[in-house]
Amino acid sequence: MIVSIKDSVKLFGISIMTCCAVTVCNLFLNYYLDLAAIADLIDNPVSQMLYDAQMMTAKVVCAVSGGCLAATTVVMLFFYIKHYIDSHSREIGILKALGYSDFKIARGFSVFGLSVFSGCIIGYLLSFVLMPRFYELQNADDYIPDIAISIHWELFVFLVLLPAVAFSLIAVGYSMIKLNQPCVNLLKGVAKEQGKSRDGRDKKSFVEDMKSSVLRGRKTLIFFIAFSAFCFSAMIQMSASMKDLASEMMGFMIFIIGVVLAFTTLYIAVTTVIRSNQQSVTMMRVFGYESAECKRSVLDGYRPAAYIGFVIGSVYQYALLRIMVDIVFAGVEGVPAYEFDFPVCLITLAAFIVVYEGIMFAYGQSMKEIPLKQIMSE
Amino acid sequence: MIEIKNLTKYYGRGESRFKALDDVSVRINDGEFVVILGASGSGKSTFLNVISGLEAMDGGSVAYDGQTLERMSEKELTKFRRENTAYIFQQYYLLPHLTVEKNVRMGADLAHNKDILPVLEAVGLAEKRRKFPAELSGGEQQRVAIARALAKNPRVLFLDEPTGALDEKTGRLVLDYMINLQAKQDFTMIMVTHNANIAQTADRIIKMNSGKIVGITENADKKTAYEIGW
Repeated sequence: MIVSIKDSVKLFGISIMTCCAVTVCNLFLNYYLDLAAIADLIDNPVSQMLYDAQMMTAKVVCAVSGGCLAATTVVMLFFYIKHYIDSHSREIGILKALGYSDFKIARGFSVFGLSVFSGCIIGYLLSFVLMPRFYELQNADDYIPDIAISIHWELFVFLVLLPAVAFSLIAVGYSMIKLNQPCVNLLKGVAKEQGKSRDGRDKKSFVEDMKSSVLRGRKTLIFFIAFSAFCFSAMIQMSASMKDLASEMMGFMIFIIGVVLAFTTLYIAVTTVIRSNQQSVTMMRVFGYESAECKRSVLDGYRPAAYIGFVIGSVYQYALLRIMVDIVFAGVEGVPAYEFDFPVCLITLAAFIVVYEGIMFAYGQSMKEIPLKQIMSE
Repeated sequence: MIEIKNLTKYYGRGESRFKALDDVSVRINDGEFVVILGASGSGKSTFLNVISGLEAMDGGSVAYDGQTLERMSEKELTKFRRENTAYIFQQYYLLPHLTVEKNVRMGADLAHNKDILPVLEAVGLAEKRRKFPAELSGGEQQRVAIARALAKNPRVLFLDEPTGALDEKTGRLVLDYMINLQAKQDFTMIMVTHNANIAQTADRIIKMNSGKIVGITENADKKTAYEIGW
């Protein structure tokens, strides 16, 4: 079998993503189910309004964060499979040439579901660590009767077992689609995207051509870089507002999830870009291109996506909180007024510029460390 | 002129440490075509790596018209490579997602060479400039690598077994291109090979064994790529 459990371990980005999704979802769904169980105990209109708002909040948070992270996990899984097939095309081509069917090779990709399972189980357990404090804060007001933590095993099935099985099936299905190509193409490593840049009449410099080619070659990474910036921007700004709107714990939790997701996604994206262009960068350096030029050709093309992601994240968090305050908690007493926080936005932007540009600079410097003689001994 | 004096290079550590280059000294003249001939493990590729500035030396000196490599910082070495050298490898190392034209531009841009058509015509690939490397034969890919190197207008061209991955017919064709272009453009050409027949096309043959130069032969009876055995 070409795909091993060791390969599944490399998908730690998926594990982190699913861990965050399940932590948030299990926390709120468990609370939602416990809240639903006390519906009959609500006996006045004010309590009912707050109760409905709490129920709605749990649903919105689960749908938005769970849905968003699940969709990103699917994209990440597709990206890993495509990257895996591209980088092992020769071995896969040999297997196909020997008579292995697409399904026989593709079913090996089901082990990628293990990374989903490990992330889900960690997230599930983590949510129970956070749950006592979360319930304590939710019970702090006197409008709704205190709720005790109950374990809902159906959530274990829906949030841990089913996603692992579903992602294994998705991995097999998607890899079957990607493997459906002539084995000679796999043996030669011919990329399907090649035709798109055939027009060479433009007078762009080599570095600019290389930059466009790198972007075209790994389009999914544009999404990941934008998503990374989106998480950084949305979650950090939201965490600042959450301190006032909900609790410090909520703010802290959102901050940590945002930072972890942003850095994990950025790390995966940038290391993939560098690894998949290592030979090109080495050749550029052999020919005398400076490391700044190598960095420009490989990494700088992603900058617009990063800043667009930041802007979308700012708008998203504002819209989400606006909906929460104006619609979900409309009429509930004691909810503070919410306005877009420009100082926090500017501070987050400044932090983002420092972090993003600093990481890109560090990766640019790391290109100097690639030994030039490596290419001659291959 | 390239002056190499007492060049030494070690690999490994502790008990596994060995001398890959042992006190190598030689002088290579401008416009000369030199072949470094030796069996696998003789130190010929290490010699090429070190004198071209791709790898650091442990002792000795390499000077290009008095400009010594061993004293250069990484930045200065990059500048040196940018202005003086080009490389052709056995495995071509073309950039697979760029067309022939754009691969050649990689070398041309460094020399501010705007018109790459003459160099593509010189290697017989003007018609295929919009093709991708995977759409070319091995010989054509190596000719793209030659064009990429020549578009840089190098003073010194280093070649590491450039015909090693090619069949006889294509190998002779590529070698013939190289020899003719070197004679026409008068750059210094240093080629590593294990093939004694190919060595017969050079001005001078430097034989290496166990990291040492074991013989230098002036090749008065220089042959063309079609006159040698393969």
